[in-house]
Amino acid sequence: MMNKTLACIALTLLLPIHAALADVADERKSPLGYGSKGYVWGTISLEQAEVMKLVPDARRGEEAFRGCRGCHKRDAAGVMDGTYPRLTGQHASVVIKQVTEVRSGLRINPKMDPFASDHAVTPQEIADIANYLSTLETTRENGKGPDNLSVRGKALYLRNRCGICHGDNGEGNADKFYPVVAAQHYGYLLREMVHIKKGTRGNSHPRMVKAIGKFSHADLEAVADYLSRLPDYRRVLAKGK
Amino acid sequence: MSRMHPSTRWLRRHAAVTVLGLTLLALPPLVHAQDIPPLSERLQLCASCHAMDGNSVIPENPKISGMDAGYLERQMADFKSGVRKSPVMSGIIPLVDGKEFAALAGHFSAQKPGKGVAADPRLVAEGKAIFDEGIVGSAVPACSGCHNEDGSGTEKYPRVAGQHTAYVVQQMLNFKSGERANDSRALMRAVAKRMNEKEIRAVAEYVATLSGSE
Ligand code: HEC
Ligand code: HEC
Ligand code: HEC
Ligand code: HEC
Repeated sequence: MMNKTLACIALTLLLPIHAALADVADERKSPLGYGSKGYVWGTISLEQAEVMKLVPDARRGEEAFRGCRGCHKRDAAGVMDGTYPRLTGQHASVVIKQVTEVRSGLRINPKMDPFASDHAVTPQEIADIANYLSTLETTRENGKGPDNLSVRGKALYLRNRCGICHGDNGEGNADKFYPVVAAQHYGYLLREMVHIKKGTRGNSHPRMVKAIGKFSHADLEAVADYLSRLPDYRRVLAKGK
Repeated sequence: MSRMHPSTRWLRRHAAVTVLGLTLLALPPLVHAQDIPPLSERLQLCASCHAMDGNSVIPENPKISGMDAGYLERQMADFKSGVRKSPVMSGIIPLVDGKEFAALAGHFSAQKPGKGVAADPRLVAEGKAIFDEGIVGSAVPACSGCHNEDGSGTEKYPRVAGQHTAYVVQQMLNFKSGERANDSRALMRAVAKRMNEKEIRAVAEYVATLSGSE
């Protein structure tokens, strides 16, 4: 009896922590997010609007980014297996959108939450960090898929017109908050597409959900591999000029 | 991988307090609260536990040499207000006037930190991995991200290099339980909550071996 009670208490104490961190819990649906009634992609929250109005400073951003380096790494290039995404060269507008939407609970990210929540990072620091990250070069190699599937991946990317939003070189669109997807870690790309397809990434774009709706898992792997093998879009665009 | 046996801890604390008692006896009678003694005199009190150069040799008493002055001053203020509790420092700090904190912090901050040693060298390699890379499975961020690769710290993140293993273990456990809750932006509580005692002990052993000379 006593033991059972104790075990129960222990379980209740342990569960929230471990469940919150396990990847299954990342699939918790945000009550406010995609699929809920009245969800409109791209609604700009008060905080997002506030951060976008602030004048950023990359030098201050480098200092504030210390609190993020423990996971995203000193060079902001994340980890090869994609647990922690690359943030180098991501559009400042996208970084601001993602961080403020994690804070508002629209995108669920229990691993990062306490380190990016409002008691940990100020709106000014978000603006500064976003500016700092957008200027960073990517020098370290990123994680690729186990097999080179880029021919098939490229065909899927073109046929489904992903480039309308993410660009021909995976460069995204800063003004429209569409993320850079080129040269990102394979593991992260695949995980996000799975979430978006299933409707479990709270801030998904409904048109994107539709665009990958018919993808098989093998298709997702092929596109993730293709995108992971694209060079940094800035190098491609610079050459084109 | 348990914490120190309670009786050992008690003995060590008791030893520290005895040293303090002797020091107090040797000092001139306690001055009135308003009269602030000269720094050199006040330092005698601290030296009994932290050593004059801040490189304490008692594992439960932290080394405070070379740490950021702002950090040290804030800790003293937090002991005074009760925001940070300690069975030992909470008894000492009422003897000290708040106006003395800056000078005391300045003194210890200017001291040269000494090197530390691991109490159990077998854990150092595992500790290094945690310090440098974090623990990906349980989303523990790398300590180096905030405290620097060599543990030298910054204004915002305190120096930890060369610190006593026992002190680091105790602080991590205090952050984990929430007993110590004066960490700025609740960051260390978030880190420590994700770690188990074995991991805490290992990383503390590695911290002790860092020289922090960056
Ligand atoms: C404890 C580890 C951890 C810390 C510390 C951390 N993050 Fe993250 N971050 C993650 C994880 C894990 C993800 C991926 C989440 C997912 O898979 O949905 C992520 C994702 C992101 C993304 C989304 C990237 C994208 O392409 O959509 C941004 C932006 C980001 N982090 C910024 C930050 C900033 C800024 C900080 C510091 C204030 C920070 N992170 C601190 C773990 C962390
Ligand atoms: C209507 C525009 C649109 C289309 C079409 C679209 N996406 Fe997206 N995609 C987005 C937006 C917006 C996000 C980020 C969600 C957010 O936070 O707003 C995203 C996120 C992603 C991500 C995760 C990136 C990250 O950093 O987290 C990947 C990978 C991706 N899209 C791949 C694709 C692929 C492959 C296709 C084609 C099948 C596609 N997208 C079609 C708008 C689009
Ligand atoms: C009787 C022994 C003793 C005396 C005397 C003493 N300390 Fe301490 N001090 C400790 C212990 C033990 C701790 C660790 C407290 C805890 O457990 O959190 C500590 C912690 C500190 C800290 C926090 C260090 C950190 O890294 O966070 C500062 C600062 C400090 N003491 C300053 C002083 C000053 C200044 C004096 C002299 C006025 C002094 N101490 C006198 C035992 C002592
Ligand atoms: C996100 C940033 C961050 C990370 C990562 C981090 N720390 Fe800290 N650490 C802090 C802050 C902030 C404080 C408290 C400073 C204060 O009180 O203002 C602190 C304080 C400490 C202290 C107390 C120092 C003293 O003298 O009392 C120790 C010990 C410590 N950290 C060890 C670690 C270890 C070990 C790790 C890795 C497992 C780690 N930290 C990871 C931010 C961080």
